[in-house]
Amino acid sequence: MTAPITDPAIAGPTRAPLLSLDGVDVVLGRGWRANHVLSEVDLNIWPGEIVGLVGETGSGKTTLARTVVGLIRPRQGRVTFRGAPISGLRRAARRRERRSGHVQLVFQDPLRSLDPDLTVAQIVGEGLRIRGGVDEAEIERRAAGALAKVGLDQTLLRRTPGQISGGQRQRVSIARALAVDPELLLCDEPVSALDASNRNYILRLLGDLRDTLGLPIVIISHDLSSLAGIADRVVVLYRGRIVEDGPVAQVFTAPRHPYTALLMASAPSVRHDRPLTVHQLRRTAADPAPPSAAGGCAFAARCPFAVDACAVRPALVPVAEPGTDRWSAACHRHAEWQPLARERSALATPH
Amino acid sequence: MPGKPPPDEVLHIQDLHITVHDGAATAVRGITLSVGPGEIVGLVGESGSGKTLACRAALGVLPAGCAVSQGAISFGGENVTGLSRRGWERLHGTAVGAVFQDPASYLNPNLTVGGQLAEVLRVKQRLARAEAHRKTVELFAAVGLHDPERVFHQIPAELSGGMLQRVMIAIAISCDPRLLIADEATTALDVTIQAEIIELLKDLRDQRNLAVLFVSHDLALIRELCDRVVVFYAGEAVETGPVEEIIDRPRHPYTQALLRVASVGDFQRRELRVIPGQPPQMGEDVVGCRFAARCPAAIDACRSGPVDLLPLGPGHQARCVRAGDPELDAAAGAELAAR
Repeated sequence: MTAPITDPAIAGPTRAPLLSLDGVDVVLGRGWRANHVLSEVDLNIWPGEIVGLVGETGSGKTTLARTVVGLIRPRQGRVTFRGAPISGLRRAARRRERRSGHVQLVFQDPLRSLDPDLTVAQIVGEGLRIRGGVDEAEIERRAAGALAKVGLDQTLLRRTPGQISGGQRQRVSIARALAVDPELLLCDEPVSALDASNRNYILRLLGDLRDTLGLPIVIISHDLSSLAGIADRVVVLYRGRIVEDGPVAQVFTAPRHPYTALLMASAPSVRHDRPLTVHQLRRTAADPAPPSAAGGCAFAARCPFAVDACAVRPALVPVAEPGTDRWSAACHRHAEWQPLARERSALATPH
Repeated sequence: MPGKPPPDEVLHIQDLHITVHDGAATAVRGITLSVGPGEIVGLVGESGSGKTLACRAALGVLPAGCAVSQGAISFGGENVTGLSRRGWERLHGTAVGAVFQDPASYLNPNLTVGGQLAEVLRVKQRLARAEAHRKTVELFAAVGLHDPERVFHQIPAELSGGMLQRVMIAIAISCDPRLLIADEATTALDVTIQAEIIELLKDLRDQRNLAVLFVSHDLALIRELCDRVVVFYAGEAVETGPVEEIIDRPRHPYTQALLRVASVGDFQRRELRVIPGQPPQMGEDVVGCRFAARCPAAIDACRSGPVDLLPLGPGHQARCVRAGDPELDAAAGAELAAR
């Protein structure tokens, strides 16, 4: 495996980002049903990097992916790909963008996203067939090539999704996305349904695709420990806002947002040597009531370190740390809460 | 058949064999395990290893075409193998409760969750309406649902996945069973919620002396919760022992492989390992060790005949002809310590 591209001369801000989200707001539903799913999301994806997007159910991870591929139109803000806007396109322009296959989405559950009546060959070739411009022989050749890239045997081409294993199905989903030569791959929970060995296989495969094809990949996951093995950068979403964004090595060593730390402490581990336990990062009855202003920090209600200042929503600001210009966190106390956490009891307090 | 299982064991499974496809193939081959009062036993293995079938046999709810072909299951010393449907219905809830992966699919979407639990109490314990309501609210509070009176009147769609799993646990323990079977009960939940449910199970064990059979494919999760572990591979128990023993001194190469691929919570970048090869097909007959084809330490003796569980220490057994081989243990120990 070659080293991940972290050299700022290659992947740094000197080069233009491949994909940019600027102040993206997404509201699903109307009237009293309206649900603000994403708020003021600013995110850049640079060429050749693997970005892990984490957050819990309802944090907006999947909505973000669907917005990027044009399945959802943002209410505000814009999405640009190679500098050209791709959000808010209509009719023919939108169809052209989608068919270009620039950005490919691998869905969460291959059993539900792959047509059970089609063969693997038909599924993998479908994107090319819809785009047009290539003949059947070429489609078959490319489908076989895409299958080879994900390490699947050609004998699977005539099978249907029901006749192959879960790990193989997820690889077929990835092959389907690769067949149209995408410039960016978005994977929505690609490993959440797999056991540890298959999970690692898929993650290694994604790492290899980045190394051999230079393909930038966004991996949406709620499993932080698997991202630690593969991602260059991690972006943490909480209730539709980015609360932390930075290089994996730094964020996972010393998280600046208490929510990132809580996610890390909650991940199951075969070793019991965590720097902080969940009990040090959860509110207890003894903690003073958090400020309840509507426009404040969304995490304050769960945060044991919330103070009056948290009634004002914290902006995503750079973390002043030597050697990292691309680490930011949205917490008023991002440099203060760590010693407070260490002073708290590591064990559950009886309720 | 050996003598009666000790009555102080909440669940005892002896040499359980389960056939699938109307007897055409054997999916579970001679599992023996027991769960004592207040004990949490974990079953771990890849999908298709037979852990869910073993659980369903212990619940008397094997899918169509599956049957217990050999062996015995007993609750508190009472043999329940081959019990009639009515007999199992009597035990459900009162002797054994269960929670599964997807709580929403086990609840009626149109009825309030409180009403659904109260109904269980009215049928199983013949409680009056007001009494059932009172006990439901009590149970909701016991499983950590905030504002239980409000939750009582909510329908499943109004609750999050973690809250629904708490409701399912409340239903499962409502008639005071001695045993709770949790089959991948936290797999679909967020890690923060998963950690809370794990704590809830520990609390219920402590407060009610509840025995728990916890099934998961994630050895890291088993580590967080369980006292003892049974490692399943292709329908067999290949290693069993106290959780610290299994994690610190795994003796079966499959357990060692599971540990190499398991999550380590230090979040350092390390090589992502995989277990090469595929397990044998369900029902496929293999001479000797079923893991030999994927095993880095396999020798000729592994393929010559059936391999028995070898005692290796207090409560620790492994089904491996090389278990206890100092060379094998040293190699695996060094590699696992480096993680």
